[in-house]
Amino acid sequence: MSNNATSKDLSLIRNFSIIAHIDHGKSTLSDRIIQICGGLTDRELKEQVLDSMDIERERGITIKAQSVTLDYLADDGKTYQLNFIDTPGHVDFSYEVSRSLYACEGALLVVDAGQGVEAQSVANCYTAVEQGLEVLPVLNKMDLPQADPDKVSKEIEEIIGLDATDACQVSAKSGMGMEGLLERLVRDIPAPKGDRDAPLQALIVDSWFDNYLGVVSLVRVFDGTLKKGDKIRMTSTGRDWPVGEVGIFTPLRKETGILRAGEVGFVVAGIKDIHGAPVGDTITHTKTPDVPRLPGFQKVKPQVYAGMFPVSADDYEDFRDALEKLALNDASLDYEPENSDALGFGFRVGFLGTLHMEIIQERLEREYNLDLLTTAPTVVYELAMDSGEIIYVSNPSKLPDMANVNEMREPVVRASILVPQEFVGNVITECEQRRGTQLDMQFLGSQIQLTYELPMSEVVMDFFDRLKSITKGYASLDYNFERFEAAKLVRLDVLINGDRVDALAVIIHRDHAHSRGRLLVEKMKELIPRQMFDVAIQAAIGGQVVARSTVKALRKNVTAKCYGGDASRKKKLLEKQKAGKKRMKQVGRVEIPQDAFLAVLKVND
Amino acid sequence: MSALPPLALYVHVPWCVRKCPYCDFNSHGVGYGADLPEDAYLQALLADLDADLPLAAGRQLVSIFIGGGTPSLMSADFYRRFIAELRLRLPLAEDIEITLEANPGTVEHDRFEGYREAGINRLSLGIQSFQSSQLTALGRIHSGNDAKRAFQQARDAGFDNINLDLMHGLPGQDPVLAEDDLQQALALGPEHLSWYQLTLEPNTEFHSHPPALPEEETLWNIQDKGHARLEAAGFQRYEISAYSRPGREARHNLNYWTFGDYLGIGAGAHGKLSRPGEDGLDIERRWKSRQPEAYLRRLNDPRGFVAGHQRIPEHDLVLEFAMNALRLVDGVPMDTWGRHTGRSLERLEGSLEEARKKGLLVEDPSHLRASAQGLLFLNDLLAMVSDD
Repeated sequence: MSNNATSKDLSLIRNFSIIAHIDHGKSTLSDRIIQICGGLTDRELKEQVLDSMDIERERGITIKAQSVTLDYLADDGKTYQLNFIDTPGHVDFSYEVSRSLYACEGALLVVDAGQGVEAQSVANCYTAVEQGLEVLPVLNKMDLPQADPDKVSKEIEEIIGLDATDACQVSAKSGMGMEGLLERLVRDIPAPKGDRDAPLQALIVDSWFDNYLGVVSLVRVFDGTLKKGDKIRMTSTGRDWPVGEVGIFTPLRKETGILRAGEVGFVVAGIKDIHGAPVGDTITHTKTPDVPRLPGFQKVKPQVYAGMFPVSADDYEDFRDALEKLALNDASLDYEPENSDALGFGFRVGFLGTLHMEIIQERLEREYNLDLLTTAPTVVYELAMDSGEIIYVSNPSKLPDMANVNEMREPVVRASILVPQEFVGNVITECEQRRGTQLDMQFLGSQIQLTYELPMSEVVMDFFDRLKSITKGYASLDYNFERFEAAKLVRLDVLINGDRVDALAVIIHRDHAHSRGRLLVEKMKELIPRQMFDVAIQAAIGGQVVARSTVKALRKNVTAKCYGGDASRKKKLLEKQKAGKKRMKQVGRVEIPQDAFLAVLKVND
Repeated sequence: MSALPPLALYVHVPWCVRKCPYCDFNSHGVGYGADLPEDAYLQALLADLDADLPLAAGRQLVSIFIGGGTPSLMSADFYRRFIAELRLRLPLAEDIEITLEANPGTVEHDRFEGYREAGINRLSLGIQSFQSSQLTALGRIHSGNDAKRAFQQARDAGFDNINLDLMHGLPGQDPVLAEDDLQQALALGPEHLSWYQLTLEPNTEFHSHPPALPEEETLWNIQDKGHARLEAAGFQRYEISAYSRPGREARHNLNYWTFGDYLGIGAGAHGKLSRPGEDGLDIERRWKSRQPEAYLRRLNDPRGFVAGHQRIPEHDLVLEFAMNALRLVDGVPMDTWGRHTGRSLERLEGSLEEARKKGLLVEDPSHLRASAQGLLFLNDLLAMVSDD
């Protein structure tokens, strides 16, 4: 029995999200909920339905928000419509979270009963509470022997300030406690409010590009009714569109022809460009243009930039097309052409963080079959010029003549780190090495919450990986841009056989310049394979060389024996060598592998 | 364009007494005194050859190489009968070179005379080293003295064209030890020396259990000093690892390196054969069933002996040509490309642009030849050969 198609009374609708850290079992829990509500038959229920991109499934993370509408027959005999809006779980994508939460009245805070609370969840939970959501704590993985519900409940209370005395205890994997959870959900999460006869007011939670339909938008209707055939207006652009399709996700897309106040679903309106349906925009009818706009979301600004270049210059056009296509689905992706002396034509691409960068690179290489070379990511610096002008630089090689710069400022973040007590010393040392200033330290149950101000450049490098490795994987991190702050910064250039390689330049703090320079040239020496001639690697500031190393030339590279019979085998070896060379970039005479351009990321003091 | 390249014949004998740990050839150890199926193998070789003959119609053989395995495990009578049968099928050039590979541990005195009488006129002795510790490490079944004795016996039997196979870069070797090996080899007075560096090839015991090889600098010094020693003794290096007295280059191998044609018969043998095609020559590689027993069974199999064949794809031609021709120190005359592939010189030139720009080829309008740097970095040079 599915009456999804007919709109429910407001009182029978529940809109909710799940807040959880990576690995805490959100996907399994989502799948289990969908299964209980019969959203998919067992045959259709592929594992982790909501993470539909290959990369999402492989990495076990969610990147794009999605939703599913489910029917749940509760113990009170009524059938409720549950609209579950999925949210991403990684710090790079926290902006997606607040957007998803806005469409909900409640959220499940899922915590691994063996692991305890993590910083990412704390930040998202605060957002949910600020937005007035009812947050239900859920202890997952209760089937595992290391589950410690009392300790974790206490942590939830101390760290987040939620009453967790009767938190739901479940195992999404075994199904234990799931029915109880759904009962709690319909009982505790408030029904949406809204007037279905009022003028239409709907919020675009997400938009993506579909090859067949054009732009599909996930919307939450707050007031009024949205029907197929309606003329709608995007209030930010003032443009009108005819509604082609309206419906819900079950999670498969299903047309219903109508969405009413309180409901969540999709709308397709013949829009061909994602910027025509911007996330956070308010939709109304053409005939009611004066409906107030819902508080939209800030446009997300990229935090880090990197140069991306096709390894083969012939791929430039394909690369541009691929970026265009990806940008159709990713409004946070920002790019403009860049021309490097060393690497030729490519793009300067802005990302939300280094994970976002890795994902984009992986998608470009995998889905568009491109070989790309990515330079070290850099944050955006603010320069106060002598002329009084303020400029922003996101490319070290484009730094203006420092003689004309009055002050150089770097972005600083406020970082919140949650870590078990035993590792706190390691974390403090790491933060100090990265020029952090401690703002706060709180003992919360068995964990400690550290608050630091840190230069963003230090955080985006490999901070998160490093934190994980010095805390046996226990530390968790959340951060937000705070302000620009003056700092003694210099550009560290890298010279290969005497030629400055623009794509290898990095901006770093003067106090670190010498030591980083030394480590960098040593790392590059490891990464650049030996060639027919010596390769000299130098690090320099201004004109002054601060470190050098040499990749010694090979003596020879020749196959000792080759006769008639084994020619075909030798040829295979040569072809391997040729393929290897193809993945390297020729800079002057020197062949440099992709890794070497990211060497600075692998340098640990 | 209808002229075809010279034609040679390779004959494979797949058995040896014991497989050496560095050996990646199609060779199967049978122990001492094993009774090898000479009659059956002879029959199979001839049937194998007969099936290939249409590709060789009207052409004469310029050289024959009998390799292995250890071809000297087979009797002189086996080769006498084989060569006699061969003459019935194909014309042999008047000055044909017929080489047999021999292991110094497997030949008695009278056998060399028999080989000579059978028509074999060149011997290649697999010596590898004269030092007993090295020979043990390499799994050889002969001593340094065995090698010297075998050489003398071959001379006594009338062989006036003898190659010694010698390795360098052996575990624990230094330039002094390597030079001592060369010294002992030179003292025998061979016409030809294949002096090649030990490399660890896939699918060998050394590959899975690698011995500790000398450091790169040591290897370089071994080669540097050895090269000078050989040149001083009147040997010319004409290929990456091949040295000879003037005029005594291995003609059979030169045919490989100049991209000539060759029939390949015997277990696992490879052949390369051209025929006139639409755009120049159609060049095909074919290879025979590899396991000795399986090969012998093919005698009564309607599929014949061929295990696979492939026309060299157009885009591989330059690479295949270059990986052979550029091994030669003097390279090849420019027109070899046209004569042995039937394609235009522009085709070749276009593919070599990068290597030429990098100075890995000598600027010489009459010859295609690697520079000194190009010979040292031949793998890099070849990786630059691009045909797309």
